[in-house]
Amino acid sequence: MEKMAIEGELSICRAEELKRELLPLYETGRELEIDLSGVTEMDGAGLQLMVAMKIEAIARDVRLSFTGHSAAVMEVLDLADLVGFFGDPVLITRQ
Amino acid sequence: MATILVIDDSTSLRQVVSIALKGAGYSVIEACDGKDALSKLDGTKINLIISDVNMPNMDGITFLKEARKLPTYKFTPVIMLTTEAGEEKKTEGQAAGARAWVVKPFKPEQMLSAVSKLVAP
Amino acid sequence: MNLDEALDTFVAEAEELLGNMEDALLGMKRGSAAEDAIHAIFRAAHTIKGSAGLFGLDFVVGFTHTAESVLDLVRAGELEMDAAMVELMLEVCDHLGSLISLVRQGDLPDADLQGSASLLTARLQNYLEKNNPPSLPEVEAAGVVSDCWHISLRFGQDVLRYGMDPFSFIRYLGKMGRIVGMHTLTDGIPRLSAMDPESCHLGFEIRFESAADKETIESVFDFVKEDCRIVILAPHSMIEKYRILIEELPEDDMLLGEILVKCGSLTQNELDAALRIQASAPIGEVLVGQGMVRAPVVEAALEKQKQGRDAKAGEVSLIRVDSSKLDRLIDLVGELIIVGSSASLFAQRSGVAELLEITSSMSRMVEEVRDTALSLRMVQIGATFNRFQRVVHDVSRELGKDIRLEIGGAETELDKVVVEKIADPLTHLVRNSMDHGIEPEAARIASGKPACGTLKLNAYHDSGSIVIEVSDDGGGLNREKILKKAIEKGIVAADANLADQEICQLIFEAGFSTADKVSNLSGRGVGMDVVRRNIQDLRGSIELDSVEGQGTTTRIRLPLTLSIIDGCQVAVGKSSYVIPLDMVIECIEFEGGQDEAGQSGYLNLRGEVLPYLRLREYFEVDEAAQKRQNVVVVQYAGRRAGLVVDSLLGELQTVIKPLGRMFGGVKGIGGFTILGSGEVALILDVQRLLQQAEEREQKNSGRNLTIMEESRS
Repeated sequence: MEKMAIEGELSICRAEELKRELLPLYETGRELEIDLSGVTEMDGAGLQLMVAMKIEAIARDVRLSFTGHSAAVMEVLDLADLVGFFGDPVLITRQ
Repeated sequence: MATILVIDDSTSLRQVVSIALKGAGYSVIEACDGKDALSKLDGTKINLIISDVNMPNMDGITFLKEARKLPTYKFTPVIMLTTEAGEEKKTEGQAAGARAWVVKPFKPEQMLSAVSKLVAP
Repeated sequence: MNLDEALDTFVAEAEELLGNMEDALLGMKRGSAAEDAIHAIFRAAHTIKGSAGLFGLDFVVGFTHTAESVLDLVRAGELEMDAAMVELMLEVCDHLGSLISLVRQGDLPDADLQGSASLLTARLQNYLEKNNPPSLPEVEAAGVVSDCWHISLRFGQDVLRYGMDPFSFIRYLGKMGRIVGMHTLTDGIPRLSAMDPESCHLGFEIRFESAADKETIESVFDFVKEDCRIVILAPHSMIEKYRILIEELPEDDMLLGEILVKCGSLTQNELDAALRIQASAPIGEVLVGQGMVRAPVVEAALEKQKQGRDAKAGEVSLIRVDSSKLDRLIDLVGELIIVGSSASLFAQRSGVAELLEITSSMSRMVEEVRDTALSLRMVQIGATFNRFQRVVHDVSRELGKDIRLEIGGAETELDKVVVEKIADPLTHLVRNSMDHGIEPEAARIASGKPACGTLKLNAYHDSGSIVIEVSDDGGGLNREKILKKAIEKGIVAADANLADQEICQLIFEAGFSTADKVSNLSGRGVGMDVVRRNIQDLRGSIELDSVEGQGTTTRIRLPLTLSIIDGCQVAVGKSSYVIPLDMVIECIEFEGGQDEAGQSGYLNLRGEVLPYLRLREYFEVDEAAQKRQNVVVVQYAGRRAGLVVDSLLGELQTVIKPLGRMFGGVKGIGGFTILGSGEVALILDVQRLLQQAEEREQKNSGRNLTIMEESRS
């Protein structure tokens, strides 16, 4: 299993950089696990990056899971109502 | 806490804006013109820039173009301040990538609502 | 200040305005700033028309109206003020100048001037017809159930690069109300390897609950409005609007529809309805279903076919006749009736059986000729109603209100002359309803009404009259405000004790204006008092029903035709009177003694209270009353009363001849007719008589008269 942690901003400022880092992970063909516990900020660019990663994984038939969603990540996923889209186990913080 | 850089050659305007922003929970850095503002772009995280267009030394649009060259501030949202008459400046600013405009004179609460559309405190 | 002085002021004002208009036109010819000039020109025409209406200068109003309509279109940017139009408007200006100088001299336009007026009007009309787009087919006009806003967002790809985060706007939106349901569109996001991560691929469908108005909601997205596709639909928007939304957005229609249902903005039924409307053309459905052609292509083709068919059908079955020829025919038929009844009368006196037979069959023929001739002039009111689609459309846009027009009874027929004369008052009522009746969107939503206001035009026949209703589902009349205003203006006494219904009618009083501020619209045209006068000139009446908070209905009641009626002839002393037969319910013997004092009173009609009026006293007929008297029970607009007369002379056809100006003030007489014997009979104006009967009774008894309402079972 390939593991990677995204730390700091998951935002437009680092979108290009993150894409460059993430893409090679798919080459191994192994299951991917992305740790989001260190994400301090997330915006629309970050969200669509997550979606694009998921779609890439489906297209390549690779399992991809996000773990340890930080508060910043959860806030955006909740707002976008996309928790179900990713289907990863998350800590329910809202009622 | 989100940090906002306020650039205007009018001290009183900067003061009023600062007071309003700080009151709403933002942290504020002030600069008196484009040149002064560039010197403050030293890698510090800035969440929003509010800049006047017409300023001595370096005007707001030149400043914006310079700021966009720095990787850290390439995607920092900007609110440009303009007067009703400054239509051609606005076109120039649009070309430089400024989309958020607030027309002078404005009330502090108008500025706050514009700011909070772009960044939360 | 008296009316003459006011008229002088009008002339001076008009001359000044015409001067401005000319200056502006000449300025345009030289190529000066168009926008202001067009406003000045329009304003001049508009003001002259408005004031001329108040002075009853119909020839000025009529002519200016067309010019104003053309200028209105120019002002709205729908027509261009080209050199040819500037020339035409200069001619209009000159012609208006001549009209105004006639007004100064107290003259009416002569044939020459009328001729040039109709030429100019025809040229102006050209512009109007060119600009009249074909009316849109009726669509299913039901609003959706959802009482929330629906916001559809597709962010442009550069939004992120400008440093703007779509979610920051959505968070801000959340401060203004409650996001009830939101769907993030992920379809536009490509796989990572194919993605430009700095381009924005996000879209949202949001169901949003908020008391804010549309402008405020729009302002949330001010900074991205140039780079973003934003559609904001008000609560209870038409299904049609959702259909357009679904159609215009790039996503697959079915998918998008399901998203809207998921958000809760549409119910499944509403979605089905929207998709049904979309595929309404039967052949088109098949073609599109088979993937052969795209829907818009089919629709356009079908539409074209239909237009072609309609035009062809029209050519075959209709001929155009100058309406003045018809008028002449009706006049002649009128004369024929009079001569015919003369002949019948003399045949009866002569006692020659063959002659009697011939005259009676001739009377029958004459009757048929009359009905046929009249029916030639009868037109369906639908065409007039349909013209209001445009008016409602334009005015609602001007007012920033969402208002739709419902039309009922379009096939109801009435005299062409009446139709022509009713158009202006109707326009005024419609504009009035839209401007003052229907509340702004925010207020409607606040009071739990659908955001889209409804204006209804309806027509139907009722006891020899045609009834035209203009109703709105607006705020209704504020009776306190009206009463206060009426007292302020001295229309009623401060201590007057008025029923709700009576208060409503006060808005028809001269000098009464409900508007606090003069808006662009209510300033246009004439006041409600002029509307009422116009209606009364047509022998009609106008009344108003209003439920506060629920809306207002204005009801115009008009005679079907203006010139010929069936009448019931009665006599009082030696004078003959004619009562329109449509209004006569029954005739009974009068049992009250002649010695009873007073013009009026009540009688007992099979247990019902019926107010009556003695025509002998009312018209001050000197001869002593006969021993036996009769009561003709008449009904108008749901009210009944009895008219006490000496004898009943039977039914007859009559041609209504208008009374000369001198007798215009005589109340209770609507016109006269010449009987077969050559004698003159007066035609009773039942509506006025009923009013008078009530008023007098009220005065006599000193209490509110309860009007007998016709029981509709």
